[in-house]
Amino acid sequence: MTSYVDRQEKAKFGSDRDAEMRLKNNRLGMTIFQASWIMVFLALIVVNWQLRFSYAQWPPAGVAPFDPLLPSAATLALLLSAVLARRGWQGLRLGNSALFLMSWRLAMALGLVFMAIIALEFAAVSEAALATQYGITMRLMTGFHLAHALAILAVMLRVYRNGARGSYSGDPRDSWPVEGTVKLWYFVTVAWLLFYAVLYWIR
Amino acid sequence: MTTIAVPLGAQAEQHEAEVVRRPALSEYLRWSVDHKIIGVQYGVAAFLFFIVGGAMAMGIRLELWTPELDLMASGAAYNSLFTMHGTIMIFLFIIPMWAAFGNFVVPLQLGAKDMAFPWLNAFAFWLIPPAAIVVLLGYFVTPAEAGWTSYPPLSTLFSGDGQTLWALGAHLLGISSIMGSINFIVTILNMRPPQMTIWRMPLLCWAVLATSIIAVMATPFLAGALTLLLLDRVAGTTFFNAAGGGDVLLWQNIFWFYSHPAVYIMVLPGMGVLSEVLSIHCRKPVFGYRMVGLSSMGIAFVGFTVWAHHMFTSLQPELRIPFMITTMIIAVPTGIKMFSWLGTVWGGKMRFTSALLFGLGFMSMFVIGGITGVMLAALPFDIHVHDTYFVVSHFHFVLFGGSVFAIYAALYHWFPKVTGRMMNERLGRIHFAFTYFGFLFTFFPMHIVGMLGMPRRVAVYDPNFTDWNQVISFSAFVLGFSTFIVVYNVIHSYFRGPVAGANPWRALTLEWATTSPPPVTNFAEDPIPFEDPYGYGTEASAAYLDAVDAAFDAEPPATDNS
Repeated sequence: MTSYVDRQEKAKFGSDRDAEMRLKNNRLGMTIFQASWIMVFLALIVVNWQLRFSYAQWPPAGVAPFDPLLPSAATLALLLSAVLARRGWQGLRLGNSALFLMSWRLAMALGLVFMAIIALEFAAVSEAALATQYGITMRLMTGFHLAHALAILAVMLRVYRNGARGSYSGDPRDSWPVEGTVKLWYFVTVAWLLFYAVLYWIR
Repeated sequence: MTTIAVPLGAQAEQHEAEVVRRPALSEYLRWSVDHKIIGVQYGVAAFLFFIVGGAMAMGIRLELWTPELDLMASGAAYNSLFTMHGTIMIFLFIIPMWAAFGNFVVPLQLGAKDMAFPWLNAFAFWLIPPAAIVVLLGYFVTPAEAGWTSYPPLSTLFSGDGQTLWALGAHLLGISSIMGSINFIVTILNMRPPQMTIWRMPLLCWAVLATSIIAVMATPFLAGALTLLLLDRVAGTTFFNAAGGGDVLLWQNIFWFYSHPAVYIMVLPGMGVLSEVLSIHCRKPVFGYRMVGLSSMGIAFVGFTVWAHHMFTSLQPELRIPFMITTMIIAVPTGIKMFSWLGTVWGGKMRFTSALLFGLGFMSMFVIGGITGVMLAALPFDIHVHDTYFVVSHFHFVLFGGSVFAIYAALYHWFPKVTGRMMNERLGRIHFAFTYFGFLFTFFPMHIVGMLGMPRRVAVYDPNFTDWNQVISFSAFVLGFSTFIVVYNVIHSYFRGPVAGANPWRALTLEWATTSPPPVTNFAEDPIPFEDPYGYGTEASAAYLDAVDAAFDAEPPATDNS
């Protein structure tokens, strides 16, 4: 896969040492991005937490608390999906591209299951809850998370199609898109675990 | 003397390799992934916004010439004018301007070929023009009137579509800032030459590193706050509306959690510039190098614990004292820097170049802004001068007397490297005199009217303040005029300035160990930095500087002024 980015950078960064450096940069850049962007999710948790003080109790009087059963199943699916994505990446590193593709398919399918359940939860917020910040912040947080999950699932799909064409090798310098996508999917998982705890368990 | 080994790498042969030409002007108007082009794109764009924002400031001062409404049709028109002034100066001028110097200088100082992510770098820049168009368009619909801080309910219930556009534009600028900062951190941490340990890194790189850490950790909070604001405005949510269970203080908490660290985003790179400029133009090592590097980090981390001092009058009373204490603590790392600069200048062989003059101007003005900052941190005093011109004076001393003076120092200092031509020093000194005195007499009297009780953000004021306001407005026009001098100087010097050579200031950091302007790959081969970036006044440094001059065919200096 020769992307636009690669072509633009080739003029300056051609040698093997530069490929090594680029991988190092990509890895550090991804870590910093994760540390940075998780702050938005923390900001939304602060929002949820501060708005709780507008009410005498949480959830507010007359509003039924959300049932954690289905979201817990979704969380399990997402965790499993992250594990499978990692297994696919490891498979690729060992040169087992069949394992990579199969794990990646399953990871995407479980990701879809997660998103479907959360979308259902988003739609099912009751009128009573929506009249209070209990329902509004729930929609804010799940909607914000879903947007990220959707975008990164689209990246996973693209990586899968490139992988099916054999674009990646076991050399980590050639498979950064796979590694990077796995790390983005971890990010989605961690962000969800934070939201899951705040939305369904911390009262 | 020249028997001392000089670490230059292959630079010694570079001048034979190619004659470096300046990029054609049209290259600056196109997409480019070269950090030097992007640096100039940031710089020129930011300076254009500085002129727009400055023209708005002139409008503000013209309105305040008399206590009545005259220039503006209404108070609302005045509100939208100062809102745009603040927004442009902060989001479109100072922050992108530091990205300009960071982009141009940091990879060169590290001896790198480019930034870590050249494409991302270009993308971060090209987010700015559309964001600027969105923000400026807002001014022509129903303009935002809530100030650059956009407190609800002013920004939710009482303003029009301009506020929505404002929030959208600020959102884009925040994302641009995050991407640029990720790039800086990775570049600085990963792309140093092996000989340059983190304790031999130039102080501008330390400052940009600290700034970028703040930007990546704080700006997402702005993104969160703006998302909520947009939802409240267009999707009918009530996060900031108590009628729907929301909380107006929510905005203040989240916004200031970004925006207080953001004031360090705006001034820390200037502090880094100052350490460079003072050391080079006074021919002395930086006093207390390690502590200066660490104090940048100290400011970055303590900066996250002080945000609620912006909310002293709206905060729960029991939280005021803790925030007062953290706010005073942050004066300690800032004080370390101030004493380091004094120690650097003290006993130096000062060459009063324009860059040094602006550096010294920064020191004298920033110390006033810093001290009024400590005064405002004191709760009893803050409640007295809350929302008066004292506050306006304080933050202009920090952001103009600090950041803008440092931007000018950086401009005079690095212009030869960017263009290969020297700026006119005589015009530079005239520019400095106008800026310095114009600035001082614009903003110092604001302390007085503030303490006397003149509120900020008003177009109509008590006629007792008229005399002071006319002094302020007159000085502001002088200050505004001074900008034309530097614009003329830049344009004139770009075409007619004397040729600079590789190292006109005889500086030791790596950006001066290549041609001016540097070739596309910056260095012919991986450069080897001198052992101490600020080791002026030693035999080894003199030999190194002579070798740099010899490598680039420059005349050796007539006198020994290493």
